[in-house]
Amino acid sequence: MDRVLEDFITTLRRSGVRISVSESLDAARALQLVGYDDRNLLKDSLYVALAKSAQEKEIFSDCFDRFFSFDFFSEPPPNESSHKESTEGLSDISRMLMTGDQPGLVTYMKEAARAENLSDIRYQTQKSLYAMRILERMGLSGLDANIRDLYQAGAPSSAATAARLEEARSYLVENVRSYVEEQLLLFSGYEYDKMIEDYLRNIKLSNLEQRYYHQMQGIIQRMVKRLNDLYSRKRKPARRGHLDFKQTIRDNVAYQGFLFNPRWKKVKIEKPNVVAICDISRSVSRLVRFFLLFLYGLNKEIIQVRSFIFCSNLAEVTGIFEQYPIEEAVARIQAGTDIPVLLARTDYDRTLRDFKERYLDTVTHKTTVLFLGDARNNYNNPQTQTLKLISERCKKLIWLNPETKPFWGTGDSEMLRYAPYCHVLKECNTLNHLERVVQSLLKR
Amino acid sequence: MKQKKDEKFTSIRHIQEGFKKVGYITSRQTATTVYLAHHLEKPVLVEGPAGVGKTELAKTIAAYLGLPMIRLQCYEGLDESKALYEWKYGKQLLYTQLLRDKLDSLVDREDTFAQSINKLHAYDDIFFSWHFLEPRPLLKALQQKDGTVLLIDEVDKADGEFEAFLLEVLSDFQVSIPEIGTVHAVTKPLVILTSNNTRDLSEALKRRCLHLFIPFPEPALEREIIRVRVPEIPSNLAAQLVSFIQAVRKMDIKKVPSISETIDWARVLLILHADSLSPELVRDTLHIFIKYEEDIRVVEDQLHQLTANAARAF
Repeated sequence: MDRVLEDFITTLRRSGVRISVSESLDAARALQLVGYDDRNLLKDSLYVALAKSAQEKEIFSDCFDRFFSFDFFSEPPPNESSHKESTEGLSDISRMLMTGDQPGLVTYMKEAARAENLSDIRYQTQKSLYAMRILERMGLSGLDANIRDLYQAGAPSSAATAARLEEARSYLVENVRSYVEEQLLLFSGYEYDKMIEDYLRNIKLSNLEQRYYHQMQGIIQRMVKRLNDLYSRKRKPARRGHLDFKQTIRDNVAYQGFLFNPRWKKVKIEKPNVVAICDISRSVSRLVRFFLLFLYGLNKEIIQVRSFIFCSNLAEVTGIFEQYPIEEAVARIQAGTDIPVLLARTDYDRTLRDFKERYLDTVTHKTTVLFLGDARNNYNNPQTQTLKLISERCKKLIWLNPETKPFWGTGDSEMLRYAPYCHVLKECNTLNHLERVVQSLLKR
Repeated sequence: MKQKKDEKFTSIRHIQEGFKKVGYITSRQTATTVYLAHHLEKPVLVEGPAGVGKTELAKTIAAYLGLPMIRLQCYEGLDESKALYEWKYGKQLLYTQLLRDKLDSLVDREDTFAQSINKLHAYDDIFFSWHFLEPRPLLKALQQKDGTVLLIDEVDKADGEFEAFLLEVLSDFQVSIPEIGTVHAVTKPLVILTSNNTRDLSEALKRRCLHLFIPFPEPALEREIIRVRVPEIPSNLAAQLVSFIQAVRKMDIKKVPSISETIDWARVLLILHADSLSPELVRDTLHIFIKYEEDIRVVEDQLHQLTANAARAF
């Protein structure tokens, strides 16, 4: 395959466009058809062969423009000679600089860059190293030798040439540097994003800075997408042994009513039915934010969620998610706008009593109850009896605690008293934890 | 035939002009994709908002090439027997009844069971042969001698499993029928798939297709479309109308007007003998391109502003 195309595809892959081998073969065939002559035509052709979603198309456009940019050495070198000086005895690079051979210089630079594997560049700190190596390969030492020789020759004309060469040298260095910088942007963008993503997935959500919120949403969306892809498929495992009589008769009409092909009954897997009860007091609120984003991402496709929030009392917020787009809904919930919830001291006593009185019938033997809170009850009555009741009614009671284990049960934490009634009790304070919990909900 | 087809695909400009002759104005991007689709023998997956002419593209290609178009409309629950092929059960049943005597005479009463079976084996699987096969759109498209344009419309509406059936057809242009074997395409059809993006299609499907996104057209392109589809319309009215529609598309409304709706509106204005847009005229004809009560209210609020801006367009 064409070396340039190969490099371009590598660049795209690094920037986050998924390209399979068969797609790159398509691109190569398209390239054979259209050639490199017409830039727009080339772009259009590769565009349909390689980028397959709106997001990828955007990345593609950006990469294409940067990858196929040739505006280096576009300004002529300083004080170009009016009269032709003899370029004899000079190295290649010096001659190109003296004559202002722009295409030659660009090609020369790109070749040198390829020989030095510039596409491996990742970090800001590698910039000068690569620039130096490329310059060296382009023959910088030869150029320096030329300058030194010319100065030593002593003649006034050669001194002038030497001075001009020296200026040309800094012009060359500058262009190579900006080229390297450009390539760094091109090649390292995705790696950097990936590093940040890894970091964000494992950072404690309570320590997360506001400026990463936006990125977090992106990551959550991707996680949700993956879970959706994995689990949204209708799974109908055959339950052998139970004959589906109607289906069998219908299918065997073709065999004159002889039952050649028996059909078995199937079971459909039901959507998990989840009741989420979240503490929104300050200590847990950030986690709740991301948790709700997660759950509601899955809501329509594979999970049915009813959600409640509490602080000093309990309130249902399922409707909020139906009314508003998810981000606004989450913001509203955290601020308590239009929701009958008192944002004072956390009160598990009142909360559990509220739940028992008003919503206990939402919990059936198919329901998974998710409790999200640090169980810090401000020394109120823990109402363990009510939790026991819920636990007995539901399929599974999962408690997620954002505090690390050693803190459970210290001070006003009632965690250890609640623990016996939880089917699953987990520490949960990073995105990765969240993903694991949601995944375990989906598994049967 | 093949040669004639190749002639129609000599260059991208050629395609653009040919499409124009059958009444379809296309961007360079779209024409390039069709060009590549023909030469690489790849299906094209077309995505884009509703009403930008995705389905129309397939019809245009068919008209341009003078080939029949076979259309498979996807919906939830679409399965193999409706898309690929089905056995004609009724016919099979009828024939077994009719041929009962024949079978009796074939199999001697004195024969043992094994002998009878052996005798029957001497004959082919008559009942599972082409005579009893009902080809559905996908199979039919493979059987066309002169080639065809196969349109798989709104593939996102079908279930995920259905995409899997499609893969074999799309990548190898063949269908496997267990009783008969693999059926290869006589002439490879040009396949167009459209999707409205109601769900993400699988990677596997995307990988096998060229991917074309048709956005709403630029003003110049849309004016051109109006000019070709409604040739009687005065050019300054067309310009005003397009600029109005383009402005409405930028507004925050539930359903933005599509190209087909722009064309409808142009036709209505033509019947009303309008020569320029006025707020009253727009108010009376608003429902032609805006289909929701709330949207109409939003647009009406800014009607004067919008018409004034549109009136400046030429």
